[in-house]
Amino acid sequence: MTVAIEAYLVLSAAVFCCGLFGVLTRRNALIFLISVELMLNAANINLIAFSHFYGNATGQVFALFTIGLAAAEVAIGIGIILVLSRNFGEADVTLPTEMRW
Amino acid sequence: MVNAFDLVPLIAALPFLSFVIAVTVGRWLPKEGALPGVAATAGSLALSIWAFLTVRADGAHYDNELYTWIDAGAFELSFGVLVDPLSSMMLVIVSLVAFLVHVFSMGYMNDDELHREKGGFPRYYAGLGLFSASMLAFVFSSNLLMAFMFFELVGLCSWILIGFWFREEAPPSAAKKAFLVTRFGDYFFLVGVVGVIVTFGTAGFAQDGFPQIAAHFLETGEGADALWVPGDLDTQQWFSILGLLVLGGVIGKSAQFPLHTWLPDAMEGPTPVSALIHAATMVAAGVYLVARMFGFYAGLPTVLAIIAFIGGFTALFAASMGVVKDDIKQVLAYSTISQYGYMMLALGVGGYVAASFHLLNHAFFKALLFLGAGAVIVATHHHQDMWKLGGLKRSMPVTYYTFLAGSLALAGIVPFSGFWSKDEVLYDALLIGLEQPLFMAAYTMGLAAVFLTGFYTFRMVFLTFHGEPRSEHARNPEPLRWNTKGPLAVLGVLAAVTGLINMKPIAELIGSDDILYLEHWLDDGAAADGGEWMGNLTYHHYGDLVHDVAGLSEASLAPYAPAAVSLALAIGGALLAKRLYDVPEPEPATERLGSAGTLLERNYYLDEFQVWLATGVTEPVARACNTFDQGIIDGTVNATSSVSLFSGQRVRRVQSGLVTNYVAVIVMSLIVFVLAVGIVGGWFL
Repeated sequence: MTVAIEAYLVLSAAVFCCGLFGVLTRRNALIFLISVELMLNAANINLIAFSHFYGNATGQVFALFTIGLAAAEVAIGIGIILVLSRNFGEADVTLPTEMRW
Repeated sequence: MVNAFDLVPLIAALPFLSFVIAVTVGRWLPKEGALPGVAATAGSLALSIWAFLTVRADGAHYDNELYTWIDAGAFELSFGVLVDPLSSMMLVIVSLVAFLVHVFSMGYMNDDELHREKGGFPRYYAGLGLFSASMLAFVFSSNLLMAFMFFELVGLCSWILIGFWFREEAPPSAAKKAFLVTRFGDYFFLVGVVGVIVTFGTAGFAQDGFPQIAAHFLETGEGADALWVPGDLDTQQWFSILGLLVLGGVIGKSAQFPLHTWLPDAMEGPTPVSALIHAATMVAAGVYLVARMFGFYAGLPTVLAIIAFIGGFTALFAASMGVVKDDIKQVLAYSTISQYGYMMLALGVGGYVAASFHLLNHAFFKALLFLGAGAVIVATHHHQDMWKLGGLKRSMPVTYYTFLAGSLALAGIVPFSGFWSKDEVLYDALLIGLEQPLFMAAYTMGLAAVFLTGFYTFRMVFLTFHGEPRSEHARNPEPLRWNTKGPLAVLGVLAAVTGLINMKPIAELIGSDDILYLEHWLDDGAAADGGEWMGNLTYHHYGDLVHDVAGLSEASLAPYAPAAVSLALAIGGALLAKRLYDVPEPEPATERLGSAGTLLERNYYLDEFQVWLATGVTEPVARACNTFDQGIIDGTVNATSSVSLFSGQRVRRVQSGLVTNYVAVIVMSLIVFVLAVGIVGGWFL
């Protein structure tokens, strides 16, 4: 049995919107990081779905790249969060606003 | 065998070396820098005489590329030497006067108690050395640009030396005035130099130099393609404009009307410096420059007329002011302006020899008169007012007789040098004037000035040396030493005899041109080392240009009657001075002149006029320009920047520093963008 491509796209859109919602509403940097991961993985779902639909492996390869990128991004993100919590005692993204202008 | 021409740069380098020595170690030397200066100028004098004799034996030497400064392909700017009859003669004059002034300075500065108290001798001798060096380099310059550079250096040195006693009030201001007024003229000179280089592609004086190119074009009309002329201007007009631009520098330096006002004030400097400035270095530079590039001026009738007219007018104008001055140095200052007016008059009528002759004679007798005045000043403890002197004849015989020789030369009394040269100037002017009425006016003014010259010169002599002493200091003057009397004696002899080298009326009388040594000397175009014939630097060539190209024809007239007239006028002036002032108790006669006397006393209010020109015209214009600059030009720039500054301040409030806000803005923008693309693309229809 094959699942229709629309189902994947709906799933992907739903995951992406969850991530977006998290970024827009939460203040905790860790939740931020998780939300960004969600959005990235929504894109991955899209890539793999289309790759499967067209019978072409390129999309899947790019999904692997994105996973690698996400790992790097998490490493930097965790680093920033560590600095945040060291300087402010907590990981609230609304606190560090000194560097705006 | 060393060639004299290879050593010519040394003539200027030696005084420069003395400048360096005086500046660096002068204060530890005996006489504080005077001795290196004396030695250096003596060396320059010896080298100059050697170069003079070599020119006499082998002919002129010209090398325009001793050192190439900039080689720009189309033209090059270089330094070089030109040693021809004119410049070798001038080198001897300048180095001789500089040498004598250095010797005299030892008596005037080092031996005088008051001057010793004031100090600063190393600076003084450094200035003298640099002054002599720059003038000597100016004299042997091979091109106009090099001449301009040393011309400027001469101006700088005059500033240093006129303002030598900078702790007093008047000298610094006089120095500033001299510098600014001559700079004003030099500004035009600089434009002229650039114009000459652009037009001709060269600034050289001799072979293939710009006077030759210009003369060739004016004579034959050939070579117009190689010349650059702006717009539709007639080539001869453009040459005239260039000539007048360079003349601006000449008028400033040679103190011709209307830029003469700096010179009387320059009397604030030490008296030997005045002698140097007036006789050999600074003021002579202007006239020498015209003589140097006379091949360029000789073909331009308009410029010649302007030169002659300025010269004649200045001669009379300055002489009239000299009549009423009470300060011995002021009288001499105005006589200098007047005498350089004669030289300009001579050049304006093509009397190249007459001008050089008067330049030579004037250098000697004016140096003599200034050094004589310096001797009087130092002997009477700095009294320059002639009404406080008098009766010095008995107590200072050497000074008196040499001063008298200089005065007779200045007044133009036969057989002293000034008579012969001034007579030749006026004779040349009269010959041209009889054919061209415009030049007649210049001649008449020159002739009238002869009477005034005789009058003010002997007024000065009688008031200073004759009669009874009118003050304690004049009764018991200080004795003078050899270093003051020596230069006076040398110059006194020269002032008496240099006229004999070009006695035109005598030559006419005996019907032989052989005794016109100077004329033959300046008519020699032979080149040394088998070089090209330098015919374009000869008096003959200049005469042809004035006659054929500029179209100034000469009347023929025997020289006796004009000579008799000018001699009679000079003696008349002297006799009038004798009647008024050669009495035991002379009275100031200036009051009898009434308002005319006041006008002369105040120098025709020209200083006031120039100050008014600066404060009343130039300053408001400058202020208006400043307002325009600050308001309109800077205003536009400032308005632009303040608008962007203000809007930037408003827009930056978007940057809240909250990541959430940024994300929201990005998402909103994306949605708006997608909607816009959708609406334009017609997705929702």
